[in-house]
Amino acid sequence: MLALTNVFGVGVPLLFGRAIDEIQASGTDQHRVHKLVLIAIALAVGTAVSRILSRIWIFNAARGAEYDLRSDLFGHMLNMSPGYYRDHPVGDVMSRLTNDVQTVRAMWGFGLVSLANSLLAFVSVLGVMLWTDPRVTLFAIVPFPLIYFTGKAMSKRMWTSQRNVQVELGKLSSRIQEDLGAMQVIKTYGLEKVRRKGFIERSEKLLDENMAAARVRIQLGPALNTLAALSMVLLILMGGRAVIHNDMTQGDILAFAAYLMRLVWPTLTLGFMLALVQRGRVSWARLAELTDVKTDVPDGTGEPLPASKAPAKVEVKDLTITIGDRAILEHIDLELKPGTITAIVGRTGAGKSTLVDALCRLIPVPPGSVFIDGRDTTTLPLASLRQQIGYAPQEAFLFSTTIADNIAMGYGGGTAIPAARAKELESVGRLAPPDLRDEPRVVAAATAAGLVRDLAAMPEGLATIVGERGITLSGGQRQRVALARALAAEPRLLVLDDSLSSVDAETEKLILSHLRAVMHGRTAVIISHRVAAIKDADQIIVIDQGKVIARGRHEQLLADGGTYADLYKTQLDTDVVKEAS
Amino acid sequence: MATVARPAPGPATPSQGEREILGKAYDLQLLKRLWPFVRPNARMLVFWSIFMPLTIVFELSQPMMFRYSLTQHILTGQIGMLPLDAGAYFVLVILQGGSSFCETWFLQAAGQRTMHALRIAAFDKVLSQRAAFFDRMPVGRLMTRMTNDIESLNDMFAQGAITLVADFIKMLSIVVVMFVVDWRLTLLALTTLPALIMLVEYARRLMRASFRQIRVRLAAMNAFAQEHLSGIKVLALLGRARTALSEYNDINAGHRDAYLGQIRGDSMMYAIVEAIEAFATGLVLWIVAGRPHDASAIQTVGVIAVFIDYLRKFFAPVKDLSQKYAVMQGAMAASERIFELLDTDEPDGAMPMNTTLVDNDPDDAPKASKDGPALELAGVQFSYGAEPVLRGVDLRVPRGASVAIVGATGSGKSTVIKLLTRLYERERGAIKIDGVDLRDLPLAELRRRITVVSQDVILFAGSLLENIAMGQEYARTQVEEAVRRVGLDRALKRRSSGLDTPVAERGSNFSAGERQLVAFARALLRDPEILILDEATAHVDPEAELLIEKGVAELMKGRTTLVIAHRLTTIRNADLIVVMDKGQVIEQGNHEQLVAKGGFYAALERTFRRQEADA
Repeated sequence: MLALTNVFGVGVPLLFGRAIDEIQASGTDQHRVHKLVLIAIALAVGTAVSRILSRIWIFNAARGAEYDLRSDLFGHMLNMSPGYYRDHPVGDVMSRLTNDVQTVRAMWGFGLVSLANSLLAFVSVLGVMLWTDPRVTLFAIVPFPLIYFTGKAMSKRMWTSQRNVQVELGKLSSRIQEDLGAMQVIKTYGLEKVRRKGFIERSEKLLDENMAAARVRIQLGPALNTLAALSMVLLILMGGRAVIHNDMTQGDILAFAAYLMRLVWPTLTLGFMLALVQRGRVSWARLAELTDVKTDVPDGTGEPLPASKAPAKVEVKDLTITIGDRAILEHIDLELKPGTITAIVGRTGAGKSTLVDALCRLIPVPPGSVFIDGRDTTTLPLASLRQQIGYAPQEAFLFSTTIADNIAMGYGGGTAIPAARAKELESVGRLAPPDLRDEPRVVAAATAAGLVRDLAAMPEGLATIVGERGITLSGGQRQRVALARALAAEPRLLVLDDSLSSVDAETEKLILSHLRAVMHGRTAVIISHRVAAIKDADQIIVIDQGKVIARGRHEQLLADGGTYADLYKTQLDTDVVKEAS
Repeated sequence: MATVARPAPGPATPSQGEREILGKAYDLQLLKRLWPFVRPNARMLVFWSIFMPLTIVFELSQPMMFRYSLTQHILTGQIGMLPLDAGAYFVLVILQGGSSFCETWFLQAAGQRTMHALRIAAFDKVLSQRAAFFDRMPVGRLMTRMTNDIESLNDMFAQGAITLVADFIKMLSIVVVMFVVDWRLTLLALTTLPALIMLVEYARRLMRASFRQIRVRLAAMNAFAQEHLSGIKVLALLGRARTALSEYNDINAGHRDAYLGQIRGDSMMYAIVEAIEAFATGLVLWIVAGRPHDASAIQTVGVIAVFIDYLRKFFAPVKDLSQKYAVMQGAMAASERIFELLDTDEPDGAMPMNTTLVDNDPDDAPKASKDGPALELAGVQFSYGAEPVLRGVDLRVPRGASVAIVGATGSGKSTVIKLLTRLYERERGAIKIDGVDLRDLPLAELRRRITVVSQDVILFAGSLLENIAMGQEYARTQVEEAVRRVGLDRALKRRSSGLDTPVAERGSNFSAGERQLVAFARALLRDPEILILDEATAHVDPEAELLIEKGVAELMKGRTTLVIAHRLTTIRNADLIVVMDKGQVIEQGNHEQLVAKGGFYAALERTFRRQEADA
C-alpha cells in the first residue's frame, strides 16, 4: 500500500513535467496538456486514497503494538513481589510505564511510517529520475551518500547527548526524592535556602545538558537540508548544461527540480526520525531494565489445593528469613492446628510481620519451611495459596472505588473501576460492573467489621467511592474496610496483622465480639499489641529479635513472668492500657 | 467521622465537563499562565523572531534563484553563467541553514530556560507547603510534576505552538511572493483555499474529540497503574493480578481506540492536502496551457517552476499540522497538572516568599519573659483528620531542666514535638516559649531557637562537613570541636577523609550509631535554647551505645531539654518525668516519686530494667 502510494505519488510530478513540455512544444494545442493534467489529478486522487488507507493501517498497527507493550509491561510489574518495590520506587516504574512507552511508541508508529515513506520516496523518485536522465541523476544524487554518513555520525552524538540528559534528569529526580523524604528536617533546621540553592544548581545542570543535546539535535535539520540542496546546485550546473546541449528538455529539468524538492522533505524527516529513534532506543533500554528482572517469588508449579471449606492446617518448620545479611527470623517452628487462634506478640521490629509475610509467601521462603494442609507452599500456585488466606494488614490499602467493591475484592469480585468511573471513560459497554451494595456477602462482612454505623452516615452507603477520587476515610475506618475484605473471603486461614491498631477501644470491643463468631471454623493468626484481642487465643507466640522466646496460653505465660508478662503489665508499645492500670 | 462528600475540584481545576465546554479558551488560559515564566526569556524570543523571517526569506528565494537561472541563463544558452548561479544558490542554502539553526537555538533556549524557571517555581511551591500537605501527596506524584511533566511541556516549544506561528507567517509570505510573480495564477491557485480550510476544520474537530478522550483515558490508565503498583502487596494477597490486568487492559483498549478519530483525521489531512496541492498545480498548468505563450515561452516555464515549488512549500506545514496538534495537546495536559501544583496553597510560612497571615513581623513580637518556664503547653489538642491524637496536654519545662516524656506508641509523644516546631498547627490550647505564644514568633526564629534531634537521622548526599554544618557558615575548627565533643571523632577514626568523607545518598554508608552522633554534632553546633530529642530505639552495638550515651549527655549539658526517652539512664537522670497515654499526661514527677507511686511508670520501669539486663 505504501509502495503503491509512492508510485502514484511519483507519477504526479512526472505527468506535470510532461505537461510543461507540451506547453512548450505544442504552442496553442491545449488539449494534450489538459489530458495530462487530468490524468495527473486522477493519479493524485488515487495517491490520496491509498495514502489514507496505508496511514490508517500503519498507525492502527502501532496503536495495537502500544497496547500489547503496555499490557505486557503492566502484567510483568504486577507479578513482581512487594520486595521489588522496596528497592524500586513506584514513581520510577511509573515514569517508565508512561514516558518511555510513549517514546517507544513514537519510534514505532510515526517513526515507522516516516521511515518507510522516506525510503520509498527515495527509491521511487530516484528510479524515475534515472529513467528520465541517468547522467544528470548520477550528478544530482552525489550529496545523498553524504547525507547518510552525516546523519549516522550525528545520530551517535545525539544518542550520547540524549543519554546525558537522562542521567541528569535522574540525578535531579533523586535530589527531589531526597528532599521530599527529608521535609521535616528541612523545615525544622531551616534548610530551605540551602536545599533550594542545590536544587537550582542541579536544575541548571539539566538545563545545560538539555541545551547541549538541543545543539546537536538542531544541527541535524539544517545540515541535512543543506546537503540535500546541494543536489539543486548540481542540477543547475549539470542539468542546465544538458538543457543547453539539448540532452534534456525544459520540462525534464523542471520535473527534476520538483523531484529533488520532493526529496528534501523525506531527508528532513529522516533527520527527525534519527532523533526519534535515538530517544526511542534510550527508552527501550529503560523498559528492558524492567522486564529483565524476574520476580523473586515465582509461581509454584504443583497442583492447586482442592476446594474445601474446612479450616486450614499450617506448619512452619525451621524457618529462617534473611534480608540483606540480617537474619529477620531464625529457626522458627510453629503449628497452627485447624480451627485454632494463634496470637503473635513482640516488640516493634521483632519479626512478627515478616513471619506473616512468609506464611502468605509475600517474601521468598526457602522450600520445605512453610506448609499448608501438608503441602509445601513453594510448590503451590500462588493463586491457590492466597485463595486460602484472608489478610487484614495494619496499613489498610483501599482502591479508589466503592466500599462495596473494595470488600468484594476479598472473594475475587468487585472492580477497581466502578460504574461512575467507567461512564466517565465513555466505555460503559465493556466495563459495566454490577452494583454490589446489596450483595449479602459484602453486607455481612461490613457488619462483622463494625462498619454499619459509619456507612449509615454516608449518603451512598456501601456505594460510596473512597480514596483519591472519593472521600477520605479515617485510619480506623480504612482498617475496618480492609478487615471486612479479609472476612468476605471466608478464608480458611484468617490473618490479622495489627489490623485494629487505629480503631478506638469501644469499636474494637464490638468487632472482637463479631470476630469470635467469624473465626469459628477458621484457622486464625492475630498480631496485636492489645491484650483484649489476644488473651483468648489458643496459643500465644512471643517473638523477640527473630526468635520464638515463649509460647503458651495467656494464663500460662502470665504465670511464667517473662517478657509477655511485662508486655501485658505495662502495655509497652500499646495504646490501650485499661486493663493494666 | 470523615466528611461525606466528594471533594469539590478547586477553582483552577475545572471538571472534565467544564474543560470540554471551555475548550480552546481553556488552553489559551493555560498559555496565558505560562507567560510569566516565558517573559524573562522574551529576549530569546525576540532573537527568534528576527531569524525566523530571515529563514523564510532565504528559503523562498531559492526557487526564485532557480527560476532566474533557468530563464536568464539556461534557456538562453549562457553556459558560462551556470557556475555563478549554482554558487549563488548554494550561498542561499547555507544562509538558510545558518539562520534556521539560530532560529531553533533561540527557541530552544527560551523553552529550556522557561522549563528551568518552572522547575524552580514548582520546587519553591512544594518546599513552602506545610507538613500535612506531604501526608496526602505521594512523593512519586510530586516528582513526576517536577521532572517529566515539565519536560513534556518543553515539546511545545520545540515543535508546538510557537512553530505554528512561524508556519503561518511562512504561508503568508509564500502567497505574497506568488502574487508578485503572477497575481492571476495566484488567485487561481488560492481557489483551493476554501476546500483546504474546510478540510482542516473538519479534521481538527475529528481530532479534537479524539484528543480529549485520549487525555482522559491516558490519565485514567496511569492513575490505575500508579494505584495498583502502590498496593502491590494487597493485590498479591488478593490474587488479583489477573483481574487487575484485565481491568487495566479495558482502559488500555479504550485508550487505543480513542486514537481512531485522531488517526483518521491525521491521515485524511495529510493525504487530501497532498491531493489539493496536486489539484492546484494542475489548475495552474491548465490555465497556463490556454494562454498565448509563444512569445514568452521561457518566461512561462520559469513561472511554472516557481509556482510548483511554492505550492509545495505552502502546503507542507498543513500536512504535519496534526502532529503539532498532538504535541500541543500533550503539553497542555502536562501544564494543566503543573499549574494544579502551583495553585496548591497550604503555606508553612517559613519561606520569605510566603509572607502570609500565619507569619509575623519580628518587630511586633510580644516581650519575652525570662521568669516563667522555658516552655509551656496548656490544654493542647490536636487530631490528624478524624482521629484525636492529643486530648488536652499540659506540660511545663523549667528553664535549664531536662524533662523526659515516656509513653506507649501512639500516646502522642511525637505529635507534641511536631506542634512545638509548628510543623503542624495545634487546634486548641496554648504553647509558649518564654511566655510568648509560638504563633507570635516568626517561624524562622522559632526553628532557630528549638532544635529537634529525631531518631531517624536523615543524611543528605554530600560531604560529612556539609551534613553537620547544615547550611550554616561555621569555621572548620568549630565543626571539629563539635565532632570531638559528641564523640563522633572516635567513630570516624576508621574513615581516612574525616570531615570530608562523602555521604552517599540517604546516608547509606553510615551506621545507625554514626548517624545519631552526626545528629548530635549538628545540634551542638546550632546551640539551641531548647533541645528536643527523640531517642533512637534502633539496636546498635554496645560500643556505639556507650558513645551515644556520652554524646547525649554532652548535648544536654546545661540546656533546656525535652526528651522522648527510651533509655532508662536518660529517664532516671531527667529532672522531671512525664508519662503520656492516649494523648494526655497521666503521671509526672521524678523517678523516685513515680516508682513510689506504683502506677504506670513503676510498671514501665520494671520492663526497662529487664530489657537492659537482657542486653
